[in-house]
Amino acid sequence: MSKLKLSGVAKSYGATVALSRGDLELEAGEVHVLIGSNGSGKSTLCKIVAGSVKPDSGEVLLDGNPVTVTGPQAAKALGIGIFYQELSLAGHRTVEENICLPDLPMRGPFIDRKALSQRAARYIALFDGVTGQGFSADATVDSLRADQRQLVEIMKALATEAPILIFDEPTSALDRSQVERFFEILRRLKENGRAMVFISHRMDEIFAIGDRVTVIRDGATVGTSRISEAKPAEVIHLMVGEQEDLVERQAPASAAQPSAGDAALTGKHLTGPGFADVSFQVAKGEILGFGGLHGQGQSAVLRAIFGASTVDSGEVLLGGERFTPKNPRQAITHGIAYVSGDRGRDGIIQGRPILENLTPVHFLRERLFLARPSALRAKAQPAMGSLRTKFGGFALPIGSLSGGNQQKVVIARWLIDRPDVLLLDDPTKGIDLSAKADLFSLIRELAAQGLGIVLYSSEDAELLVNADRILVFNGGRITRELTGTDRTRYNLYEAAYEAAA
Amino acid sequence: MTVDTASPAHRSGSIKRFFERFPFLPALIILIVLLVLNGIYQPRSVSMIGITSLVKTYLALMLLAVAQTYVVYAGDIDLSVGAILSLVNVVVITLMQQWGGGALPIFGAMAAGLAVGLACGVVNGIVVAAFRLQAIVATFATSIFFTGLALYVMPVAGTPAPTAFWRTYGGSLFQVPFVFYVVAVLAALLFALTRTRLVTHLLSVGDDAPAAFQTGLPVTAIRIKGYALCGLFSALAAFCVTGDTASGDPLVGGKMTLFSVAAAVLGGSALSGGFGTVVGSVVGALIIGLINSLVYFIGTPSEWQNLVQGLAILLALMIGVLVGRMARR
Amino acid sequence: MMSAVAFFKQPLVVALALIAALLLLGETLSPGFASGQQILRLLIVAALLGIVAAGQNLVILGGREGIDLSVGGVVSLSAIIAGNLMDGSNAGIPVAILGCIAAGAFFGLANGLGVTLLRIPPLVMTLGMLGVLQGLLVVIRQGIPSGKAAPGLSEFVTQPVLFGLPGIIWLWIAIGLFMAFLLKRTVFGQRIYAIGSNEHSAFMAGVPVGVIRVSLFVLSGVFAAIAGICLLGYSGSSFANVGEQYMLPSIIAVVFGGTPLAGGKGGYTGTMAGAVLLVILQSILTTVNIDESGRQMVFGATLLVLMLFYGRGKALRT
Repeated sequence: MSKLKLSGVAKSYGATVALSRGDLELEAGEVHVLIGSNGSGKSTLCKIVAGSVKPDSGEVLLDGNPVTVTGPQAAKALGIGIFYQELSLAGHRTVEENICLPDLPMRGPFIDRKALSQRAARYIALFDGVTGQGFSADATVDSLRADQRQLVEIMKALATEAPILIFDEPTSALDRSQVERFFEILRRLKENGRAMVFISHRMDEIFAIGDRVTVIRDGATVGTSRISEAKPAEVIHLMVGEQEDLVERQAPASAAQPSAGDAALTGKHLTGPGFADVSFQVAKGEILGFGGLHGQGQSAVLRAIFGASTVDSGEVLLGGERFTPKNPRQAITHGIAYVSGDRGRDGIIQGRPILENLTPVHFLRERLFLARPSALRAKAQPAMGSLRTKFGGFALPIGSLSGGNQQKVVIARWLIDRPDVLLLDDPTKGIDLSAKADLFSLIRELAAQGLGIVLYSSEDAELLVNADRILVFNGGRITRELTGTDRTRYNLYEAAYEAAA
Repeated sequence: MTVDTASPAHRSGSIKRFFERFPFLPALIILIVLLVLNGIYQPRSVSMIGITSLVKTYLALMLLAVAQTYVVYAGDIDLSVGAILSLVNVVVITLMQQWGGGALPIFGAMAAGLAVGLACGVVNGIVVAAFRLQAIVATFATSIFFTGLALYVMPVAGTPAPTAFWRTYGGSLFQVPFVFYVVAVLAALLFALTRTRLVTHLLSVGDDAPAAFQTGLPVTAIRIKGYALCGLFSALAAFCVTGDTASGDPLVGGKMTLFSVAAAVLGGSALSGGFGTVVGSVVGALIIGLINSLVYFIGTPSEWQNLVQGLAILLALMIGVLVGRMARR
Repeated sequence: MMSAVAFFKQPLVVALALIAALLLLGETLSPGFASGQQILRLLIVAALLGIVAAGQNLVILGGREGIDLSVGGVVSLSAIIAGNLMDGSNAGIPVAILGCIAAGAFFGLANGLGVTLLRIPPLVMTLGMLGVLQGLLVVIRQGIPSGKAAPGLSEFVTQPVLFGLPGIIWLWIAIGLFMAFLLKRTVFGQRIYAIGSNEHSAFMAGVPVGVIRVSLFVLSGVFAAIAGICLLGYSGSSFANVGEQYMLPSIIAVVFGGTPLAGGKGGYTGTMAGAVLLVILQSILTTVNIDESGRQMVFGATLLVLMLFYGRGKALRT
């Protein structure tokens, strides 16, 4: 009998189907890996188990008995603990308070501070030596780094001592030593008979810790297999389905080497928060790739050039002219475009019509005062068409579109008035493969028209296929340049892990 | 994301942590400066009598600011605290008058007053947390309702409080002014409350309500309890007003609502929730009191006093917000 | 096509339906309540509130907890300045209008700069400013007997000027058209919605967030000042803190008009209906024969019930 069994669990938000048929069988004493591309429904499934999302239909069996998880409190009572991908921490509370928050130790009417510290210390001790500088039991969570916060969320989940533990991407910000320590803990818990769900996008992690793997695609469970019997290629095949090779099948990058004379964008010894001494040049018509592990300064450089964060020293040349980015407005009027992968924060204007999401850049570049919808629609139509955007009408709210189409709208906003430089900051994060294909064919077209393009992607394949050159970032610096036939997965991987190894 | 977010927060770690633990320090400094200025312009104001009268006058606002702070902890706001105060004031006076001015009736009336405050708080909590109405407009609506109730209980101001009541409030016990006993009990009460689970829960909800919900905290119940606590402290504030003014007035608290918000902000609490201290709010209330007296002592022409007070409070509010934010960075 | 349920959930439809129901109720309780003359009187009162709410509406639409608690203070200040400047003579009207609008814009600017440059929460900033304005009222009042409204102004507000409607109604209609144009057909308007919905996205797309937000507070001050002038015309002379009654009702009118306090969506047409709704409600309560306490209780309770018709907060469990 399974410890936990989900069958046919479904959840929709209006017209958007988050999960259409979620099935999962979790045994005691196993680490069950859940994989699937972004937006495939993994997190929704986890939240349904944890009670924070109410399923529309489906059945949850705990130890063979059907249960209804009415909320997070009920989940706690049923013995389910969860690590939330977006974290569930109180920023102004201390580390130890957060760890014990689900169940504060009491002494009469008061919180038992001593017991609280002792209990928290047990879980903090599990990560002794890898928590990093500034981490202490009485530090507030807001003062911690991203990886340290993630550790607190892990400790908080562990402190529930629940028989069923769900970890929704617990390792995304952790460094190697932290991940290893976490895996040691998981192995010990496994021996103690805990049932655990583990989500990660890193293949190596999945094969290092998982016992079984369940693949979710487009909101439905497609299959479960033993990790020992699975091969990475098979798992990927299950994950992406028949569209598997869409990205890989794209035409290889152009071999044309633009001359140094027509540089579109040059950075000289740029230093700022998160990056140091970064020098590069992208020619007109070139796609320059920024590679490396996530968060090594690639985004920081792009954002700084766009004026969204500061450059402390060094200079930026735009078409040969010196340019000091002060804010995005100024960058935009100088012909720079920036597309962020974090649509929710940097891209879409939630709750507003599609047309209003397309026009802000146009307003600025044309210095308009009046907004005539008919004229604006005429301007926006070609831009939307060039991306093959599917939408029901310009007046519909942006939220009515799928993630991929939302991102297309955000990109289209930059195409109404052609920019000279296009900065792409992991632009395909969380969008479907066909949208990716549309996006990259457009990017190559734009490059052919003479735009200078900088592409950072967290997916190596995208870089290898689309970038003419790749600069590999490590610890905020450029550590390697890959050109021509050097642009191989192996070289990229090796360069990315250079310092970390 | 190791590099991107490697914040410089650790540079000034110790000072930062100090402010985090005592977020009311900036307010306390402003308070001391104001006390010194008061002392310079009117030496008698920092004497025992001066301080006693200051506390006597502003104890109600201190309590009302504390009341406000408990809802602000959770990111809520209560624009009905003044109306609750008025209602409790008239209820207590009316009951004391009906039951006679003895000790037992007085305590009975106070118990009834606390019950009224609690009930009002629970109503606010249900309206805001359970019905999910926007706190600003919803508590404004309840404030109108509570004011109506107060007018029903006592249509016209003026019914006097029993002599024993205001004599005790304004008097002394073993040569120590009675209000100082109140302050001592209040301090102990606030200290005890700080150590309860509810306060930690309120602050966690204010930090991030969805996160608190996902953690398994009963967010709605916690917010209702916050409003209930607010109602109780508003009732306590009403007792002080009753002791100070010695009479009933169905509109006495109206003007105090916004000052209670101002005092909480002055004390370093963030209106967005999750951060603050009740001590800070007490200090904030005293700052408002000292600004008012200082403006008087420096000889501001009477017509200009309100303007100077207004400007000084605005300035103090801005300093409070700015310093508070710097401390949290 | 919109379903019937969706149609009746629109704030404007809700407000209009409630207005009709209340008029009917008023007519039943006290025949003559819904007569043309009465409705006109109600509309004048609603226009005063509605003009204040126009500025409040803009500030709220701009998001980031936008709210302007100082509008009441500006209304009072403007009424006094206008009274003193015109002092019963029509010749003084232009100067009075200019003076009042300048004063309103000044305090709006101060609010806006505090909110954007110093990043003081709007509630705190405008609350502090309210205290300053109340102090200023006392100063301006000193010794000088408060001036009277010019006859031209009083006529404009209370007497029919065109098609039987008083000037203030025409002014309100004009403001309504202006707001609709501003919000729907100008870049400025679209930028207001953008910063109200997602300030960071707007910033990244080149929207001058700070300038827009400061302008909203300035406009709020200006609208409150205009309302103050009209209020002087309505009541003939100003008295202390006449504007205070507009502070929170202006916010409620906005909410009843379908603009949530979180900003980013809604508009002014609904707010106009919200103002009318609020005024009719108050008026019904004054016509029925209950005392002040009952009136207040019914008013407070009704407001709460009405709020349930409008957007409630998101449930934690979805």
